[in-house]
Amino acid sequence: MKKLVRPLPLFALLLSAGALYAHHGNSAYDETARVPIKGTVTEFIWVNPHSQIYLDVKGPSGKVVNWGVETNSPGILGRAGWTRRSLKAGDKITIIMCPAKNGQPVAYAGSGDPGTKVIFDDGRELDFADKTVDKTSR
Amino acid sequence: MSSVASAQAPSKGASGPAPRRDLSGVWAVQPARETSEDDKQSPGGEIPPMTAWAKARYDLEKPGYGKRAAPGGNDPILQCDPMGFPRILYFPAPFEFAQIPGRVLQMFERDHVVREIRTDGRALPEDPDPLWYGYSVGKWVDDTTFVVESTGYDDRTWLGAAGFPHSETMHLEERYQRVDQDTINFTLRIDDPQAYTKPWIALARVLKLRPRAEIRQGYCVASEENAFTKRIREPGAAPKN
Repeated sequence: MKKLVRPLPLFALLLSAGALYAHHGNSAYDETARVPIKGTVTEFIWVNPHSQIYLDVKGPSGKVVNWGVETNSPGILGRAGWTRRSLKAGDKITIIMCPAKNGQPVAYAGSGDPGTKVIFDDGRELDFADKTVDKTSR
Repeated sequence: MSSVASAQAPSKGASGPAPRRDLSGVWAVQPARETSEDDKQSPGGEIPPMTAWAKARYDLEKPGYGKRAAPGGNDPILQCDPMGFPRILYFPAPFEFAQIPGRVLQMFERDHVVREIRTDGRALPEDPDPLWYGYSVGKWVDDTTFVVESTGYDDRTWLGAAGFPHSETMHLEERYQRVDQDTINFTLRIDDPQAYTKPWIALARVLKLRPRAEIRQGYCVASEENAFTKRIREPGAAPKN
């Protein structure tokens, strides 16, 4: 299973970033890594406290694996500009995520780890930054 | 990010003046530079030595964060048990203060919790039945500083994601000092002699007004959380192949 988290060569950028504020109740993810996976959305589950994105990802060998990506609550996602319709089955996306340390096809992408985001094939992006923050008041 | 670097320093008035005896509005606790891995969703600051009673409990906790972090674990919130106070305050979602006669309400997104702070002059109960969010009384000590005292907290909640325990007789003193329209300087003192040999002085934090944010109904639903656990949390916690 280890090879599943090997990033696709075209997207093999690894960004390191501080993960001081991750808050997703699980130390299973490598929060120093930012790894892209590209695939087709199979489910977008909009629930508390962990919304989830599932997507089919074709690995280097051609085998398709269904990945599960943990993300934020509807409250946090809503303040970041998301709705329950932001993703739907069939959408072709890339997710910049923090993969599980154990090599399983699960990952985290959300407000706890800046730099994680969703990129649609047409270039549109969805990130996890709170859009209700008034920058002048920070 | 300058907001992160400066978050621990008390904020001075940069926006309009603080209104008199008014905390109303949606507020967000600003991130602080955590001094330790054990500060996650926690009061932070220097954690005092635990008593033998507290150490025994602490040794049974299996947190998902901090120096003892391991995947899985028995953090009560993983099955949607109440987060408790003050942990919920440090959870990264804004909360709202509302003031009504006799009470100041603190409304949290997580589980849509309403914490009632009595302002009718009553004293804290002497020997209360423990509650998930305790018993709280508050008063204005000057025109911009609201002080809350509380006790009677159910001891199944943790003081942070790293699993630090507390007793049912824990006593908290919170000070909310509104220094300008947009800013509250917040301090917290935890006195819990059953659990800690000295008072725990929390890291001073800054709260910022978020007029464009609204508190949502962030109920943790056990059936949904269990499904998430099976599909993502457990695979992520499995031993490495």
